[in-house]
Amino acid sequence: MTKGILVFAYNNADIDYVKQAAFLAGRAKEYLNLPVSIVTDKESIGDRYKEGWFDKIIISDIATASSKKKYYNGAEQSTVLEFKNDKRPFAYDLSPYDETLMLDSDYVIADDVLKHCFTSVYDFLIYKDATDIAGNRETNEFKVISETSIDFYWATCVFFRKTQLNEIFFNLIKHVQEFYTHYRKVYNIVTTTYRNDFAFSIAIHMINGFKKGDFAKRMPGKLFFTADRDILHSIDGDKFTFLLQCAGSLDKYSPCKFQGNSVHVMNKYTLEDNLSA
Amino acid sequence: MDDKLAKALEASKLLDTINQQKKLLQQQYDADLIHYENGRQFTSSKELISFCQSLISLEQDQIVLIDDNGLPSMVNDLSTFTNNLVNTYATASNKFFNEYNKIKKQRSVEGIFND
Repeated sequence: MTKGILVFAYNNADIDYVKQAAFLAGRAKEYLNLPVSIVTDKESIGDRYKEGWFDKIIISDIATASSKKKYYNGAEQSTVLEFKNDKRPFAYDLSPYDETLMLDSDYVIADDVLKHCFTSVYDFLIYKDATDIAGNRETNEFKVISETSIDFYWATCVFFRKTQLNEIFFNLIKHVQEFYTHYRKVYNIVTTTYRNDFAFSIAIHMINGFKKGDFAKRMPGKLFFTADRDILHSIDGDKFTFLLQCAGSLDKYSPCKFQGNSVHVMNKYTLEDNLSA
Repeated sequence: MDDKLAKALEASKLLDTINQQKKLLQQQYDADLIHYENGRQFTSSKELISFCQSLISLEQDQIVLIDDNGLPSMVNDLSTFTNNLVNTYATASNKFFNEYNKIKKQRSVEGIFND
């Protein structure tokens, strides 16, 4: 059985997702001893394919529409940029591994907890709950996909084996993506931008027979995250220093030390500033 | 600004940072309590450990337990499983204790980050 990590990385005008993926690959080797394959396009990777950062470089030009998203850099600054996040439903087809851990490029590995995915008796693992490191923000948007709708699942970290049921599941995600405008209305999703978290959540609800069920099992450990309104000040091994947005403030931050666990860092700008760490 | 007020604000800033760090330690403790065995995860707790110990005292060597996914799992070597569960619990609790004490001793925000 082959096993490894799969990362999707399509750059836009400001964010170098390939650089983030290379950083993730280095840490994946250090903490999990796992190879990392990247799904990207020629434009994003350029001549960096020669660097040897990745196990496999998968160039995917599957034609799907990209969308726009507001990227925050701390609480005060934001920029609207292209958001090419729509290839994730093809992970099953694109992964070169029998057992795949699919991670966001902005997930900073700092422990070996995810190694337990590969010994799990369950074939599909995903986080339903996550912990905001700031701890003082309203996080209802990460509990259900809309106020009158279904449970929210994080597409940030997903583990799957190549099984018949998982193939059906990923085909279902592709279907949700194709008819996203319809499903967005059925599930009362207010925002129009396509989100993988929503597509995965809807597909999980559907494969469970349009009710809560046990198709999706819990990923090992906990998913910790910081919002894009927070600032990643530094990374030193498994020790992070963040400046967390104070509740209700646009220009005040509270310092925070975090050590020993992996973190999903949503502020892509300050993550990139720290990539040499 | 009045000197006393300035000192009070400084103290409140320190307490706020300390409280945030304590909350975070609690969250990390919850994650550290998860025990992985035979491809399943179980949250190590005083209750689960006591339950397993009771079964051992009744000379049981295997038992069906419900894992963190709410599904049943056969534990074949209950004694080893219980020892592992205690280890996970003790390691997580000791880490929590040590980290909490480090934070409790701090008298400045800088101290927390320079530690």
